[in-house]
Amino acid sequence: MRPHSPWLSRNNLALSAAAVLSACLVAACSSSSSSSTTGSTKATSSPTSTKPITIGASLSLTGDFSDDGQAFERGYQLWASDVNSSGGLLGRQVQLKILNDNSSPTQVQTNYQTLFASDKVDLAFGPFSSLLTTPSASVAARYGYALVEGAGGAPTVFASPANQTAHNVFDVSLPIEDEMIPFVNWVASLPPGQRPKTAAYPMADDPFADPPVQLAQQRLQALGVKTVYSKIFPAENASYKPAADQVAATGAQAVLLGSTDVPTVSAFMQAFEQQHYNPKMFICAAGPDQGAAFTSAVGKGNATGMMVPNGWYPGYPNPESQKMVSEYVAKYGGSPSDVNADVAEAYSVGQVMAQAVTGTKGTDNAKIISYLHSGVTLSTVQGPVRFDNSGRNSSAAAFTFQWQQSGTAYKQVLPVSAAGSVSIINPKPNWTS
Amino acid sequence: MARQIYQAIVDGILVGGVYALMAVGLTLIFGVLDIINIAQGVLVILGAYLSYSLETRLHIDLFAGLLITVPVMFVIGVFIQWAFIRRLRGRERTSMTLLVTYAVALIIEGILYEIYGPDPKQLTASYVQSSVHVFGFYLSYIYLYGFALAVVLIAAIYALLYRTTFGRSVRATMQDHTAARLIGIEVNRVAALTFGVGVGVTAAGGMLFGATNAFNPNSGYDLISRLLAIIILGGLGSIGGALAASVFMLTLESLVDIWSPEWAIVVFYAVLVLVLVIRPTGFFGRPPVRAQ
Amino acid sequence: MTGPMLGSVSRQRAAAGLALVLLAVAAVLFPVVFSSPVVTNYAIYALIFIAVVTAWNMFSGFSGYISLGQAVFFGSGAYAVGIAARDWHINGVGVFALLPLAAAVGAVIAVPFGLVALRVRRHTFIVITIAVFFIFQLMAYNFSFTGGSVGVSAPFLPWSPTTFNDRFYYLTLGCAVVAVVLAVLVKRARFGLQLRAIRDDEDRARGLGVRTMRVKLAAFVLSATITGLVGGVWFLYLSQVLPPSGFDPLFDLSLVLMAFLGGLGTISGPIIGALLIEPGQLYLTIRFTNGYLSEILLGALFLAIVIFVPRGIVPTAGEWLRRLRTRGRPAVPPVPAAADPDPASSGRIGGTR
Repeated sequence: MRPHSPWLSRNNLALSAAAVLSACLVAACSSSSSSSTTGSTKATSSPTSTKPITIGASLSLTGDFSDDGQAFERGYQLWASDVNSSGGLLGRQVQLKILNDNSSPTQVQTNYQTLFASDKVDLAFGPFSSLLTTPSASVAARYGYALVEGAGGAPTVFASPANQTAHNVFDVSLPIEDEMIPFVNWVASLPPGQRPKTAAYPMADDPFADPPVQLAQQRLQALGVKTVYSKIFPAENASYKPAADQVAATGAQAVLLGSTDVPTVSAFMQAFEQQHYNPKMFICAAGPDQGAAFTSAVGKGNATGMMVPNGWYPGYPNPESQKMVSEYVAKYGGSPSDVNADVAEAYSVGQVMAQAVTGTKGTDNAKIISYLHSGVTLSTVQGPVRFDNSGRNSSAAAFTFQWQQSGTAYKQVLPVSAAGSVSIINPKPNWTS
Repeated sequence: MARQIYQAIVDGILVGGVYALMAVGLTLIFGVLDIINIAQGVLVILGAYLSYSLETRLHIDLFAGLLITVPVMFVIGVFIQWAFIRRLRGRERTSMTLLVTYAVALIIEGILYEIYGPDPKQLTASYVQSSVHVFGFYLSYIYLYGFALAVVLIAAIYALLYRTTFGRSVRATMQDHTAARLIGIEVNRVAALTFGVGVGVTAAGGMLFGATNAFNPNSGYDLISRLLAIIILGGLGSIGGALAASVFMLTLESLVDIWSPEWAIVVFYAVLVLVLVIRPTGFFGRPPVRAQ
Repeated sequence: MTGPMLGSVSRQRAAAGLALVLLAVAAVLFPVVFSSPVVTNYAIYALIFIAVVTAWNMFSGFSGYISLGQAVFFGSGAYAVGIAARDWHINGVGVFALLPLAAAVGAVIAVPFGLVALRVRRHTFIVITIAVFFIFQLMAYNFSFTGGSVGVSAPFLPWSPTTFNDRFYYLTLGCAVVAVVLAVLVKRARFGLQLRAIRDDEDRARGLGVRTMRVKLAAFVLSATITGLVGGVWFLYLSQVLPPSGFDPLFDLSLVLMAFLGGLGTISGPIIGALLIEPGQLYLTIRFTNGYLSEILLGALFLAIVIFVPRGIVPTAGEWLRRLRTRGRPAVPPVPAAADPDPASSGRIGGTR
């Protein structure tokens, strides 16, 4: 019989190695992450009687949502530097701690646990996207933090079990379902002969893109606009052209595209152009609101007439907003109309939190939660903010924007009666190139 | 309805050409080196970015730019094989090649993010948006040119494989590495050069992909799974199979898209599973090669 | 066996037993010692991956059929718990009673999946697992009962952070222990030997009388059951499942990497691989917020692993240990009369692959 197979003795080594490794690793992870906190709970250069207010956030700096995540980061940081240069909050400087979640739900949960339990931040800002907001809300609810965010507006965020129990999610931006209502109202205001007779509703498979288009479809059908195409397509490059070709084949007079990003819109526009199809009205859930990223992808000439709903635009005649835009341009370059709406959303998150802190004279999250649910109206660069019971901003203004003047000007066009609206280009001009 | 069907068939054939160009490199690499190159998706994107740089910085036309991007990618391919793939052997070779090609994909993706950033880009040219009116359909020029390019390049590879001495070495290596070595073929050199050819062709696929889709460094992932399905269906190592499978799958997907875009992609994979159950070697595949 | 050898065998057994006891005590006391939820969070994810990688290795490592479709079971288990909790209105602690359902769902899916996929070999097998994976992900997007792109949310468990994490720690520890015990049992049984025979030369194994399809399918289903169970636990911990997170293409590649790093086909290999990589990945993403650089580094790290530790840490470490122990002298003094016909004692049966 052979002597003991080395397998077992190797396994001894392996087992003990596993034990030692596990202890070392997690100890290393935990101790390093708390020591890497850049002076969050220790007073550093600030006056000895006041500690900085630390605010933690997890953002998608890489991965699927990276361009939006990075715009958000810039918004948060712009807000923090503005607050600090005017004396801080309650006399204390604000310190941001932003972690990257790589657009992954597992990472987002780990990040917030790290921020709450290890870095012990005072307050929390939300991540980017409804899909990441739901797990973050659970973590925040368990730790008792309010989660003020600007990019998680899908119905599922407000309906999530954690939020329904703890009521700790506050979305400062426009709830997405209502985004296309101004457009619908405008169509209703046109004389029946000028309304589109047919409409197509292609939607990407995403909780952000579909609700506004579906709601608009219901309302437009009630107005007598015939639905000639209404399908959900996968949010994948290869699926855009077939769907777009199908829409082009219908010849619909209006297209309401449930898009989440620029590539979807540009793929549709390109396919329409190849098919020599030009809808009279073309509105997208997202994409044309991305400033330069949009016009450089589709070409300035083609951008003319494209419409997109949003709660904000660079030309918004709000003094705080104008100041933020000029600061952004000074810091990052480009022109005002290049400023991404994400920046304004992030900035508004900061503003709401600041007003909550000054309103409750402290950083107690429970007090902040009840303050924000008390029906108080706050002001931000995106306009007024007032939260309902589920954390939706019920005062959010829904605007619709349109690219004009050969793709160089991004103008507010709807609601027609709102201050700052210019006349809408209708019908959409033909493709140029 | 009939019009939609014809449109779908035409679309499917034309887009199939683009996918064929992207898949040919993958199947060639598989046939000779017996590895699945997961980095293929990212290599397509790399080709697209190279064409993008040539177009925006030096204003070189997309097709003319291929004269530069194809050799560049060829060299990159040879390097990757020589540096990383060559030394993989042993029982765990399959998982090793998966990991190595995945690692290479990560590195290339990270570098592309660093250089170009995450904003989506697209290749533009006069013929990208315009189309020709034929029999009541609009056929966009870029797809027509692309399909023609695909046919030409695939024919060229065929000629390479069947009419040159090098091609004969490649085919011998495909059949049996040991036997090839015995008759004096330098298998390592053949492998490296073939990898290079495979990646070089991918440059053309990348250009076409970039002209017909907006892309960013992350776009490679969606692609690789479809390309894998195509080459398995066409038969691992079969060039003509890659073209046939691409056209077939894309046309089928296009047709199902009329009814439901969501289920169209599922059909793609479901057909693959179905065909493999009936015929495990795909359309034109050969029985599995004995590993070296 | 001679006297001294008998003594050394029982000494080794005692040492192994002692190590196991120490390890068990350490594992149980871990959350008491490191009570911060941040630490237990890393431990939970590490344990989740230990269980899943061990389960994956139980099939793929032992049989040589590299499966990139393990996420099918993981996601299905997660969705099973979520859909059941939603439709049967189960809240609070009762959701944990749904976990056996997750395991069962994994097993049930594995049977037709295995029957279809295990008829082909090697690369075709890999691609079929990828195709089935995508079919499942797309089904999760398309069907309304799975919630579509919105996914399913778990009921909210209003426990304090430390309690929440501690309870999940013990739950995942249990899953990991079950997985490892099963793996050990499989490896030691004749079943394990049959799997290894299939890995080394399937046709020869079949010629020798091994019922290859049954053996492969059994291992496949077993691995799926564990993976489904862990998927359900993961869902409850994260409180949400979405099509791209429940069916994550990179999940499967991570499994391959972790198993490979530790040593494919070993028992402790997956444990070490998972322990090193999962917390490491989570931690590095926090540390290096310049994500693109970390991606390049990650890729370079993988390359380094494959090139320098090609057989995995555990087998390589085992070799060093043996060399140290024997100091160049063979472990078995060669018998002068008959040459030992055994090949290298690492247990390979030979053949090519």
